Amino acid sequence: MRKFIHVLHILEDTALVGILVSIIMLAVTQIALRNFQDSGIIWGDSLLRIMVLWIALIGAMVASRTDGHISIDLVSRYLPEKWQHRVQLLAYLFSALVCGITCYYSVVFVYYEFLDGNTAFAAVPAWVCQTIIPFAFAVMSLRFVISAIRHLQDRSPPPVDNPVC
Amino acid sequence: MLMAIALLLVVLAFFGAPLFTIILAGALLGFYRNEVDLSVIAIELYRIASTPILLALPLFTFAGYLLAEGNTSKRLVKLTSAFIGWMPSGLAIVAFFTCAFFTAFTGASGVTIVALGALLYPALKQAGYQEKYSLGLVTTSGSLGLLLPPSLPLILFAIIAQQMGYGEQVGIKDLFVAGLLPAFLMLALLTGWSLWYNRNDPIPTESFSFTNIKTSVWAARWEIPLPIFVLGGIYGGFFAVSEAAAVTALYVLVMKVFLYKEIPLKSLPKIMRESMVMVGGILLILGVSLAFTNFLVDAEVPSKLFALIQNNIQSKIGFLLTLNIVLLVLGAILDIFAALVIMVPLILPVAMQYGIHPIHLGIIFLANMQIGYFTPPVGMNLFIASYRFNKSISELYQATIPFMLVLLVALLLITYIPELSLMFVSH
Repeated sequence: MRKFIHVLHILEDTALVGILVSIIMLAVTQIALRNFQDSGIIWGDSLLRIMVLWIALIGAMVASRTDGHISIDLVSRYLPEKWQHRVQLLAYLFSALVCGITCYYSVVFVYYEFLDGNTAFAAVPAWVCQTIIPFAFAVMSLRFVISAIRHLQDRSPPPVDNPVC
Repeated sequence: MLMAIALLLVVLAFFGAPLFTIILAGALLGFYRNEVDLSVIAIELYRIASTPILLALPLFTFAGYLLAEGNTSKRLVKLTSAFIGWMPSGLAIVAFFTCAFFTAFTGASGVTIVALGALLYPALKQAGYQEKYSLGLVTTSGSLGLLLPPSLPLILFAIIAQQMGYGEQVGIKDLFVAGLLPAFLMLALLTGWSLWYNRNDPIPTESFSFTNIKTSVWAARWEIPLPIFVLGGIYGGFFAVSEAAAVTALYVLVMKVFLYKEIPLKSLPKIMRESMVMVGGILLILGVSLAFTNFLVDAEVPSKLFALIQNNIQSKIGFLLTLNIVLLVLGAILDIFAALVIMVPLILPVAMQYGIHPIHLGIIFLANMQIGYFTPPVGMNLFIASYRFNKSISELYQATIPFMLVLLVALLLITYIPELSLMFVSH
């Protein structure tokens, strides 16, 4: 299990870096081709947009590793410690549930798209590009469950190495 | 029942559940109630992949993260002081302008206070400015520049407005121009106030020297072309906004890693990862709020809200004044991106009914958010500055209040003189 999580972390980090570099390179290539040769990769812009979706969702997955999502959190820090603990647990479980439901319905969506057989760009079917949606929500849901379990065991919260806000 | 669930969601949000899960839950419930197949939520999320302009977001964010590393902030201060440091209150003016420029590129995420404030605060004190004044200056300047291109909140406002079907009126290019005069008005008022405030203090001024200008220009030679890229590229018609973002990202990367050699190649993956986690957080909230907005529009919430408000407030001015107060409070308690995705879909249609131009609304919105950053008691920059400069929060309240009043005057002018925002907008 521990090894699986470690591999997932490496995969996520590599994907973020790889996709970002690809986005920069492809976008600049498109500009160069258009301005200097009056041409361009036909499916380049579609691919760019799909990479934005992927980088967003993978970034969001990584954010849920470390409690890094944007939240309002006005009240809990003023509660007594015991209640802070309970409220935090409730927040994790709620987040896990919402992500779980979204994951389920995203699978349904991807399945419909699979049946429809649309293409996203070049010869790549749309459903392949969309698989990141259920996958990301599955991972986030699991991470919230794991955070809740850790919380119950009263282990220290995940380190905040990426404060998003 | 529905009200009870809505209330429960608000409570959960206040208790720290991630904002995207709250909005997502709201959208799911709304669709469920209207008997819409819930897989529509994935269709809405997939819209992230059909919105070309979103490409600008990861690219500008990454460029901003790169700029925040290394010595760009130092070179910027040197460069600006060489040009205007000789004026009375020169260093204070330098501080305003460099902070504004830096925030435009890095977003007002506290980076300005940490990177530039840490540099400027001791320098200001050493130059003989009062401690309270210096502290107030660096804290308020942390969000100055939010209205200058290519700041992310400006881009995000345009994206939300476009997704709501106001694309005709709210082009990103127009919004970028619209922010210029209001931002300069703020800078001018702050400068004027600083001149007056320090009129009796003999603050030693740096003498003007061509050698100084030459060395500082030479030191910042790779950074100086940046604004030319962004603005010149876009308005010269060479690139679209998202393309300018790509060129900026690549340029800053080459500049920082190969030309200045300030960022070692091996620390790039970490910076990329950090910046993309931030982008993921913002885009996910944007994605789910687009879904939620659709539900709101279906449920005719904005028109009901308008009817409700119109019952109490008839005049445009009255509406704007109320709006300013609400937004100032929201800006203090909400993260700016959260405030944008939650409030713009509700406010924009209402404001349009009152005859307010959507671009003008965007500028008012962000000007409020900018001030909200240091509005007592909970503005985020107050806490960042308190932590960074090791001062108590109450000291910061006192130090920032005069600056806040000056910026509130600017806000009033921006609110009641739409031409400030709309003068250079094409339609």
